[in-house]
Amino acid sequence: MIQSILQYLHSDKTPGEAGSLFWVVVYVLLVFAGISVGVIFMNWFERKIMAHMQVRIGPMRVGPHGLLQPIADALKLIIKEDLMPANADKIVFWFAPVCVVMTAFCGFIVVPFGPTHAITDMNIGILFMLGVSSLGVLGVIMAGWASNSSYPLMGSLRSGAQMVSYEIAMSMTVVSAVMMTSMATGTGTMSMIGIVQAQMQQHTWFAFSFFPVGLTALGVFSIAMVAETNRAPFDLPEAESELVAGFLTEYSGFRWSLFFLAEYASMMAVSAIATTLWLGGWLRPFPNFLGGKNWDLAFSLVPGITFLLIAALCLFYFTKMPRIRSMRADALGLAGFGAVLGVIGLVMLLPGVRVRVQDIYWFTLKAGFFMYLYIWYRTTFPRYRFDQLMKIGWKVLLPISIGVVVMTALIGVRHELLALVWR
Amino acid sequence: MTFTEIVRRFFLIDLLEGMWVTFRHQRPSDLVTEQYPMQRPDISDRFRGQPRLAKDENGKVLCTACGACALACPEKLIKVGSLRDPETKKKVLTEFDFDMGRCMFCGLCEEACPSDALSLSKGYELALYTREGMQLDRAQLERGVEGKVYDK
Repeated sequence: MIQSILQYLHSDKTPGEAGSLFWVVVYVLLVFAGISVGVIFMNWFERKIMAHMQVRIGPMRVGPHGLLQPIADALKLIIKEDLMPANADKIVFWFAPVCVVMTAFCGFIVVPFGPTHAITDMNIGILFMLGVSSLGVLGVIMAGWASNSSYPLMGSLRSGAQMVSYEIAMSMTVVSAVMMTSMATGTGTMSMIGIVQAQMQQHTWFAFSFFPVGLTALGVFSIAMVAETNRAPFDLPEAESELVAGFLTEYSGFRWSLFFLAEYASMMAVSAIATTLWLGGWLRPFPNFLGGKNWDLAFSLVPGITFLLIAALCLFYFTKMPRIRSMRADALGLAGFGAVLGVIGLVMLLPGVRVRVQDIYWFTLKAGFFMYLYIWYRTTFPRYRFDQLMKIGWKVLLPISIGVVVMTALIGVRHELLALVWR
Repeated sequence: MTFTEIVRRFFLIDLLEGMWVTFRHQRPSDLVTEQYPMQRPDISDRFRGQPRLAKDENGKVLCTACGACALACPEKLIKVGSLRDPETKKKVLTEFDFDMGRCMFCGLCEEACPSDALSLSKGYELALYTREGMQLDRAQLERGVEGKVYDK
């Protein structure tokens, strides 16, 4: 038993492929914890970045610079009264948030944080992710129906229509990326790890291959994924001015926080898809062009150095904190936070750790860029009207994405023909 | 639609411009929020707040008890009490009552004052739990109402 656990450490496969149950459980727990912590941080970042973009300061009072605000919010939500409408369909009402959370987290089974850092690698990975994430709409419709109230029903109907119509444009662009994987080897792959390895072999991210086809596909996907996750400016299902809170109207306390968790988890999931398909997944910048031992070493030091820089920033602001008695706990907390980050940064510099961590680091960085885009969109754009939303989905994004698929096929065939002629 | 308009719509230039605006304003120096108890706002000189009676550098009250402020006050909330000094034949201020609860901070008393004694100062932390505290007597007007200093 122990031997089989240790044996996995020498294999270069994902735990799912290697068939090691122990490591699968460990990875599932790690991913679950990572996503939850990510949601907590994302909540803080969202409030802070939105505040700064709107020339405000955002949460400042709970912990240094409001760092503990999301934890305080979570505590408040958990101890809040759990209301259920008297005429609600009890079982469906109970199951809807569970369904949404499960589907949101299930997608992460195939997300490759590194060549071996995925729970498992499926040969239909991307299809699995799209399928599971589109199951989330079922939970939303269940929530709207079971609430037995007008606003939630309207909200969930809108949400269903929106998710289904944007799913198509999204899938079309995914098809184009999957077609690109066949360029170097002749056989395409739908496995998430295989897609990233194809980008490694072709010496380019798919965003830049077949210029400007890949870039257009990424653009269409990055618009469709905002609509898919019901975020601003496409947050019609929860448009406060029209529908109170959409399908969330009757939910409160812990159930509401489950929906919240699921929303952010699915945001991360689609960001992960975009990163994997077009931005080279876990690959560091220029893995081939700047190859070799020295560059490998230099890039593998980046994660640790990033953490050390953030730690230095925390300690710098610790010295700048006002020296009054009531702020002492905050100041010490900030210094402690900085110290913890510094220790993590130092651990990441160790040779054994840094080679394993750097894939996760680059993946998170690229996915984090999309998460930042979500916040950025939310502060900048006003909400679309529902007919405008449908018009964008069906009349603009769908034709463009079909065009992208056709162009990818044509250019790919041209490459093949040229290769035949030259041979 | 002209060619440039088509290009602008095709490349979503307007949306990108909007995004650049929000991105630019993230600079910490752009912040306008004041953290009130720790950071004090800058009060304009024209602000009309807490009424004060000024003294000269010797500590003598500037008020000549002429009663012009009481006459000017539309709310009739100022009461000036005075005695005639038998030696110098001048009025001497004995009491000065100001009912801030009825005051609308119009500033007419301040304008009427010939000796620049009465003024509506920049003090703004005037909230109280009872109405009685709004009746300011001469000592309070000279001293000024002290706002409570909060530690946290």
